[in-house]
This record gives sequence, structure tokens and C-alpha cells, in this order.
Amino acid sequence: MAIVERPSDVLALPPGGLVTHSPLGVFARPRAKTGWRAWVSTVDHKRIGIMYGVSALFFLVIGGVEALLIRAQLAAPDQKLLSADLYNQVFTMHGITMIFLVVMPMGAAFMNYMIPLQIGARDVAFPRLNALSFWTFLVGGIFLNSSWFLGGGADGGWFAYAPQTGVIFSPSHGMDFYAIGLQITGIASLVGGVNLVVTVLNLRAPGMTLMRMPVFTWMSLVTQVLLVFAMPVISVALFLLTFDRLFDANFFNVAQGADPLLWEHLFWIFGHPEVYILILPAFGIVSEIIPVFSRKPIFGYPFMVFSGIAIGFMGWGVWAHHMFASGLGPISVAAFSVSTMFIAVPTGVKILNWMATLWGGKITFSTPLLFSVGLVAMFTIGGLSGVTHAVAPADTQQTDTYYIVAHFHYVIFGGALFGFLGGFYFWWPKVFGYVLNDKLGKVHFWLTLVGFNLTFGPMHILGLQGMSRRIPTYRDGYGFNLWNAVATVGAFVIALSVLVFFVNIVRSKRQAPSLPPPGPDPWDARSLEWSIPSPTPDHNFDDDPVVTQLDDFWHRKYGEDEQGRMVPIATAEEIAMPGDPSRSHLPAPSYWPIVLSLAFPLIGYGLIFNLAIAAVGGAVLLGGMVGWALEPPDDEDLPPHGHDDHDDDGTAAAEPEAVATQEEVTAGD
Amino acid sequence: MAGRTYRRWRLAPLAPLVLALAACADKAPLDTLEPQGPEAQTIDKLVDPVFAIAGVVFVLVQLGVLAVAWKYRKRKDDDDSLPPQIHGSIKLELGWTILPALLLAGVGGASVLTILDLDDRPAGAQEVTVIGQQWWWEYRYDVDGDGEDDIVTANDLVIPAGEPITLSITSRDVIHSFWIPALNGKRDAVPGREHPLLIQADEPGVYRGQCTEFCGLSHGFMGMRVVALAPADYDEWEANQQEGAAVPDDELAAAGMEQFRTTCSQCHLVQGEGGNEDLFEGAALVSGAAPNLTHFASRGVFAGAIFDLWVDQDGNGEVDLAERGEQLNVSALEAWLRNPPAEKPMYPQGSRGMPNLNLTDEQIDALVAYLETLE
Amino acid sequence: MTDTAAHAPAATADHGHATATGISNTKLAMWVYLGSDCLLFGSLISTYLLLRHRSTLGPGPKDVFDIPFTSVSSFVLLMSSLTMALAVASITRGDLQRNRAWLATTAMLGGVFIGGQVYEFTTFYREGLGYTTNIFGSAFYTLTGFHGIHVSVGIVMLMSLLVMSIRGSLGPERAEAVEIVGLYWHFVDIVWIIIFTVVYLIP
Repeated sequence: MAIVERPSDVLALPPGGLVTHSPLGVFARPRAKTGWRAWVSTVDHKRIGIMYGVSALFFLVIGGVEALLIRAQLAAPDQKLLSADLYNQVFTMHGITMIFLVVMPMGAAFMNYMIPLQIGARDVAFPRLNALSFWTFLVGGIFLNSSWFLGGGADGGWFAYAPQTGVIFSPSHGMDFYAIGLQITGIASLVGGVNLVVTVLNLRAPGMTLMRMPVFTWMSLVTQVLLVFAMPVISVALFLLTFDRLFDANFFNVAQGADPLLWEHLFWIFGHPEVYILILPAFGIVSEIIPVFSRKPIFGYPFMVFSGIAIGFMGWGVWAHHMFASGLGPISVAAFSVSTMFIAVPTGVKILNWMATLWGGKITFSTPLLFSVGLVAMFTIGGLSGVTHAVAPADTQQTDTYYIVAHFHYVIFGGALFGFLGGFYFWWPKVFGYVLNDKLGKVHFWLTLVGFNLTFGPMHILGLQGMSRRIPTYRDGYGFNLWNAVATVGAFVIALSVLVFFVNIVRSKRQAPSLPPPGPDPWDARSLEWSIPSPTPDHNFDDDPVVTQLDDFWHRKYGEDEQGRMVPIATAEEIAMPGDPSRSHLPAPSYWPIVLSLAFPLIGYGLIFNLAIAAVGGAVLLGGMVGWALEPPDDEDLPPHGHDDHDDDGTAAAEPEAVATQEEVTAGD
Repeated sequence: MAGRTYRRWRLAPLAPLVLALAACADKAPLDTLEPQGPEAQTIDKLVDPVFAIAGVVFVLVQLGVLAVAWKYRKRKDDDDSLPPQIHGSIKLELGWTILPALLLAGVGGASVLTILDLDDRPAGAQEVTVIGQQWWWEYRYDVDGDGEDDIVTANDLVIPAGEPITLSITSRDVIHSFWIPALNGKRDAVPGREHPLLIQADEPGVYRGQCTEFCGLSHGFMGMRVVALAPADYDEWEANQQEGAAVPDDELAAAGMEQFRTTCSQCHLVQGEGGNEDLFEGAALVSGAAPNLTHFASRGVFAGAIFDLWVDQDGNGEVDLAERGEQLNVSALEAWLRNPPAEKPMYPQGSRGMPNLNLTDEQIDALVAYLETLE
Repeated sequence: MTDTAAHAPAATADHGHATATGISNTKLAMWVYLGSDCLLFGSLISTYLLLRHRSTLGPGPKDVFDIPFTSVSSFVLLMSSLTMALAVASITRGDLQRNRAWLATTAMLGGVFIGGQVYEFTTFYREGLGYTTNIFGSAFYTLTGFHGIHVSVGIVMLMSLLVMSIRGSLGPERAEAVEIVGLYWHFVDIVWIIIFTVVYLIP
């Protein structure tokens, strides 16, 4: 076996054949292939995906610390670790961080990295816009958290009901950071949504019809469509709040005739599709993992697809179930109660299809599989408590209590996060070229499962016993003491599990040189990303894969014998592409996405503190857009409109610089 | 009690942890599963079978997952052949789409009926206006139906036991939520809107509540109680509340009254004593109102129902009906008057909540003596 | 197998051929973006409809609206959609000069519309309807302001096309760029039809 090079940066991809050329005046495209400059100017969906993942894990730690502060404060009655004011900031920022800065970007990490690979594409439809999405998200997250140092974090709850969040009742700048910060991250989501919808619809490999796409890509498509339609609604709500707070508008001024329910409606019309945005990618991941480790196809592929689409559609018709106690009137309450109940049907279909996939299989309990089965079990609990909320009269007892806190942590943590953790273990070898240690992975899983249930299981009881949400402390003698103490212990177990995960990453990376490389297909999997080398070559596929059926890669490894049984007909190594970049032309890197993204926080700080800063931000915005538009295209040999990258005889016009890549070296094995 | 045990058994399938409920506190004043009035009872009757169904599904799925994972685990001696590559079954898909849909339709139908049932308020029921503001609850009674409120009180919502009361809930500032779990679900108090809610307490007693919509600094310190009195006691209460306060005989209390006039009457009203007659537009607060104190000493709690006004002599954690008027909780009242923002997080610099008035000990003593006379 | 015709997919997809849907990436992106814009304007219009008669003081719609004036400026915007369509048609058949004329006309008509809005708003302001005067003012100016920003961005795009055309880099092979700007422009016009109907005409 040939000696393989290992990347020296901790998480860097090996140097690849990126196109570079001589500068054209001041708008030269960047040339760096390694080091921080390469990452800052990258438009490669894979590097962008990795950056999303790293950022999400960073914010997970911040949100987790906020959670631990909450749990420390609530461990016993009548505590004063956190003042009421600080507590309000901590729980608000915990919610905002976990939803917008952890779960959404973690989904984005997987979707960005895997969608082009699963559909056999070179990159996404608009690589620079993709980079813009990432940097905008990151600066938005930093902007939001800078509030801690600039007058206090947002303190009105993540749901920010008016008029509580107006200037009279929330006088600090915290809610301004909230409103503007979420606008910034919203731009990232919207741009990313347009990008990925076009990518999935347009860039599929020859033969990959929609019904031959992996379930993960399908769920991601539904997610991106939801994003495209849901983000504008919260954007409007945030504009109204910002105009009220900064410019004295009257949208939520009750004395001037406002109805505070307007905020609630706008927020939840966004907010409910948002929770499906949070969960669908994880559903997709689990739909990839379970078949692989059961060694059977997903049960009911069309139903998995259609149930995802159904959830996407029906998710628009249930928003007011967050408002059952808000005084809507019995007709509205009844209608939303019924519609909410029916959305459990497609979700239940998924749970049963996953179980039916496991049924009759040959299950290997790898770490990805454990987390996936964990999702099935934990999400079911969250889904069932959700059905009890759908019963509107019951919800008038449950809403705003810890019973709801239990519900959404079971579906978001037990659902989305479990799915993502499984996804990390599953796709790690493809992304980084080594496997995460499975033994330590199992420790991670069990610690997570135990800690998670210890924390949130008792909250069902606390809620039914009447413990309100968003209270900084509780009195003795209300029956809340025991289960709060248990929940606090559980929270620290979760913290330990996160530590174990990070330790696993570091240790696995260190041990990797002494272990055999995983190769293109370590799990004997089904979809296209496993038909190329690990770690993924910069150019993804040597040639367009030609797809003839669902799970095409699998069916090239396994065929029917004379008796009709499925038997191996080729190994992954035999049919995987060797990693030859010579026929590929990659989009060139660019600094304009990060430059442009910096305009947004400048405008934000300017609106809050000093309009001069906003003016600078505006200039950066305009200058950035001009630079972006005028930037030379990929290759200086190209005609002015910059799209032809081949001559009439079909050969590539510009040879990418030949660099000995890891893939080429291993291709000879 | 047999009823309590029965209810808790039905919770058992919902979560294994719930089984441990029997071992935990037996005092839970905000318990949602112990209805003490017909509305809460209606909800409970709907909720119990729903929890039971959810519990059964929970057990089936969890056991199913475990059973499938165990039965189909890859054995050590496995020959690495592929298991049967089943792609799906239309029958199963239709089955497990239609059956749950039917089940949920049933639950939905029952829910709709209950929603309409709960919305059905008897026409002649007594009405009380409930107004939330940062961070306490006010109650207003138009006893003679002439459009003017005859009784204005706070913290303790006094009602006759055994009778339906229609609450009309609103707010003077931000969104709050009125919730007495033993009597009914919650209803948000939204400024600019009025939301009806029917409550009825089966028996005389004290029923705890908690604001349940985040409303700022003292959201967690904005409680309330429903105090249900036997009909005769209620009539007596109602009559008493409509009388003004008398000038106290006691010297200290009279000094306290003067102190009240100087300091407190800018926000608080004591009727019958020449204070501001039009209170609610007068209080220099964002909400425009502070609790009416005319019959302060007839209540069991104060400061948003988080402090006991009378000593809880039997130690059950609540100022019961009989304990009101017995032994004044002087230390709590003094601490409050000495420095309200230290006792309860508020924002007096923004005119929300009671400020520190820098009272001397003598002034506080006098005020306490006066307040105790306001029965 | 290396088929010389099998290029990396995204490179050719940018041209509008070999995309799985047959629509170019940029055009599809514009459609998706316009879909999201429907929700943006839907939320703003719903907000306006909910709030417009809830003012507790200050002028209301009936007090300030000048329907005849706004009808004229609406007509101007409508005509700009016609000239936009003509711009697309002319570049498609290779008539670059006409294309420039129609692009310029469309931008000019858009400018007239914006000018009309500015005049209208300053008149309202003088009549006592400011942004912060009452809830009707806040809602009205926000809705029409967002629309005006969209029109202005459209004018910038038209001017960019015009500049490109004058420099000789907007030939018939790039007709799609004009078409895509046309999609955006028609959308903005349709939104205005809805706003005009719902805000001005229907009380």
C-alpha cells in the first residue's frame, strides 16, 4: 500500500487542484490553497460545510454553558445564583443560540457538504453565495453574542412577545441585538435556501430523477423550501419590532391601537415551519444510516418522501397551536387543534417505516446506528407529548409550563441533535479520511442518552405539577424540588457527554495514522458520496456519475444471482472513482463573500449606537456587491461572459495545476 | 386518596419516571391533575384517556424498538449474506396512515366538543374583571351592574364557592396569563383585548395561581390566589368591601394614616379616606395602577401574592381562610416597606414596580399599624 | 470512463443547458427568490390590513388618499411592465438598439413611479400623516416603502443592463439576463397592483 499523506492542519482537507491564474488588477481572485486564507476565501461547499459544523459546535458550547447556568440556578428552591435580570438574559440567549446558532447551522453543515455529493454534482449552484451564507451566519451569531459585552443579552425570550420587547419594557439594547442579529442570520438562511433549492432541482447527475434521490437530499429539499418561505415572515416581524424600537413606529403600541397578537401570529407562522426546518434534515440523516446498518433498503421510500413533503405542507396550517391560551376564540382553537393532530400522521409514518427498516435486517450497533435508533425512540416521546398538546383544552393547562419544555427538548435534542450526532459518526470518514473511534462513540451515546433523559424526562412531571416556564426560581413547598435537582444532575451528564465527543475527535485524529484508511466506503453504504475517495477529493466526482436507479451505487456492488438473491458482484474499491481531477474545473475562490458579510454587523451596530457606523456598513455593502459583480470569472482564458470552460472540441480549456493529491497516490492501490 | 392514586396510575405509561411520582412531594398547589372545579374537571376528563392512549403508544414503540433491535441484531457467527431486501408494503403504509388518522380524528372530535363546551358560559354568571400588570393582579367587581366597579381589590380573587364566575381578563401593559390550575386552564391577559374565562370552585378554600406568560423581571414573582368563600361568608365579604376605610383610633395607626397620605397615596388608593378618588389614571407608573389598599388586611397575601400577610400557623404553606386576620406577618411586611426592589425584582427607575421610599423604622411601624386596620 | 462530452455538471448547468429542470440556475433562483418575496409582501399586506383602521388619532386612509393621482402612477408602473416585455422581445430577436431604448424607458417609467410616491408621501406628511403619527401611518409607509425599495433595486438592475448593453456586452446570447430582470420587474408590478387594490381602492 502506498504511503499516504495526512493533512497537517487539524481539520484541513488535503491540498487540491484549485484553479489559480495571474491577477487582473485589484480584483484578482485569491490563490491560496491551504492555510487560513484558503478557508476565508473558499467557495467549496465541503469547506463551507465543515465551517458550519465547527461554528455550530462552538455555539453548542456557549448555549450549553447557558443551559448549565439555568440548571444550576434551578437546582434548588429560592436560589440567587443569577439575578432575575441575568436569568432572563440567559434563558433567552440559550434558546436563540440553540435554535439559530446550533441546530440550524448544524443542519446546514450536513446539507452543504452532502447534497452535492448525493446528487453527483461538483458544487452547489452558486458557490460564492454559499460562502456568503456561511460568513453572514457567523457574523450574525457573533453580533448576537456581542450583546453580552455591550449592555446585556437579549432578555425577552426567544419568542420575543410584544409589547414586552418594546423599548419601555425592555430598555436595554439586548432586544435590538436580537432583532437585528436574527435579520442577519435570516439573510444567510434565505440565500442558502435559494441556493440549495436550485442545486437540488438543477444539478442532479444524469439519470437521477427526483424519486431516485436519497431520502436525506429529499428532506433537505423540503427544509430549504420551508426556509425560503418562512424566513420572510419573521423578517417582517423583526422589521416591525426594530422600527418600533429604533424609529418610534406604532406597530405594537397598544395605546395607538395595536393588537399584540399580530406579533404572535407573524412569529408563529414562521415559528412552526421553523421546527420542521430543525427536524427534517435529521430525519433524512437517520433515513440514510438505518438502512446501511440494517443492510436493507429504507422501508417505503416513496412514503418517506411523501410524508416529508406532507409535513412541509401541513406545517403551515398549525401555527396557532402555540396560541391556544392567547384568546383566539373557540373556532380558531378548534380548527388548529384538529390540524395539529393530523400532522402527527406523516410523522408517525416515518417512525414506523424506520422500525420496519430495522425489522428483518442484520443490525450492526455502530455509533451512528445507536444515535439513529435513539432518535426514533426519543422523538416518539416528544411527538406523543406533542399530541397531548394538540388537545387544546389540555394545552391550556400545559402551555408555558415545563411540560412544554420537556416536549420540545425531546424533539429538538432527542430528535435533531441525536440525528446530527449520528451523522457526524457516519460521515466523518468521508469528510476527514479517518473514522471516529466507535468504542468511545458508544460511551458518548450512552452518556448522552442517560443525561438527556435524566434532564428532560422529569420536566414532564414538573410541568404537570404546575411549574411555569421562564421563572428564575421557585418556592419550597410546590413539589418542584426533587425533579429539578434530578434535571440539574442530568444536565451535567450531558455536558460530560459533549466533552467525551470532543475528546473522541481529538483522539481519533491522533490515532488515525496508525490505522488503515477507511477507503471510499467503510460502511458498505448505498448513496453516491461513498463512490468517491475518502476524504472527498476537492473536485468530488471525476466524471458525472450516471444513475439508473435509487441507491445506484449499492446496486453496482450487489446484484441478483440465479436464484434471485442479492449477492456481492463488485467491491466499493473496484467501482469507486479513483480521484482524478483532470476532467474537472472548480469554481474559483473569492474574498467578496466574507467582505460583504461584514457589512451587516456594521449596519447593525450603526443602527444601535451611531449611524456613522451604519453608513460605513452601507458603503461596504455597496462596494462588496460591486466587487463581487466585477470580479473576474474562474479563468482568464475565458470569453468575457465567463461561462465557457471548454473549447468546441470538448476538452477542458484550463488545466488545473497538477498537484500530487492524496487521491492520486492512493488510486494506485 | 383513591382518586389521586388512580390518576397517577394512568400517568405511569407516559414515562417510567412518572412511577416515581408516588415517592415525591404530596403537596403541589399548582398541580394540573387535581381539578377542584367543573371546568378543570372537564379538561381532566378529556386528558386522562389521551394520556392513556399516548402511554400505550409510548410503551408499544419503545418496546418495539428494543425488540426489533434485539431480534435482528447481527449475530457473531453471521455469514455476511444480505437479509431479504424488502422495499415496502403498500398495505402496511395505508394501514399505519389510516389507523392513526382515525384515532386522531376521534381525539380531535372529542377535543372540539370539549373546546366548545368550555366556551359555553352561563348567561347570568357573576362577572369579575381581572387585570394583569407588572407584577400583580387586580380584580374589579361591578356588583350592582351599573357599569361602575364597586369593588377593586388585588392578589386574592374572592369568589363564592360552588358558583360559576365569568372572568374578563385583560392587561394594562404587557401580555400576562391568568392561571389557577385547580380550576381551569390559563388565559392570556393581553393589553387592548378582553378574554373571557369561566371558573368555579367546588368547595371553599384557597387555590393558587401563577402568571404564565413571560412578563419581565418579576414574571416568576407574580402569583395570585382564588379565595372561595361559602355563600354567606361571601355576601359578608362583598358588603364589607364596598365600605370605605375608617379613621383608626390607635395613635400609631393614625400616624400611619398620615404617612400613607404623604407617601403612598400617590399610587395606592384607600377609599373613604380622601385619597385620590380617580386612582387608576393617577398612579405614576407605566401601567397607571397600583393595588387598591382599602381592604388590604382582608387579604391573605401581598406583593403579587408572593408574601404571606398573615402567619401560616399550621405550617401547610398557605394562609388559609381561617388564618387571615389572626397573626400579622410583621417581618415580611416591614421588609417590603423598607426596600421593595430588594424583596422582588422590579424596575422603579422606569416606573414599573414599587420604589424604595427610604422610610425610617418609625414610619414603617406606623404604616404597618395603619395597614393592619384596613380590614 | 471519460467521455469528453461529460463535463463537470455545474459548469454546463450555468449555461441553461444540462440542468435537470431545463431552466438555468439563475432563472430558477429568481423564481425561488420571488416565491420568498410573496411571503414578505403577504406579511406586510396582512399587517397593513389588520392595522389600517385601528388608529386612535391622526388622519386615516380616507383623509389622505388621492385615488386619481395614485391611479395615474399605477398606470405608469403598469406601462413599464409593457416596455419591459418589449425589451425582452427586442433582445431575443437581436435588436440591440431597441433593447436599449426599452430598457431605458422602463427604468424611466419606474423612476416616474418612484417620483410619484415621493410626491405622494411628502403631501401626506404635510397633511399630518407621519411615520410615527399613528398606527396607520407606520403600517402604510412601511408597506409602500418596502415596495418602493424593490422598485428602486429594479431600476438599478435595469440601469446595469443598460450600461452593459452600451458597452457591447449584452448581446442576444445573454437575452436571459434581461428576461430574469423582467421576471423581477413584473413581480414588483403585480405586487403593486395588489397593494393599490387592497390599500387604496378597497376601503
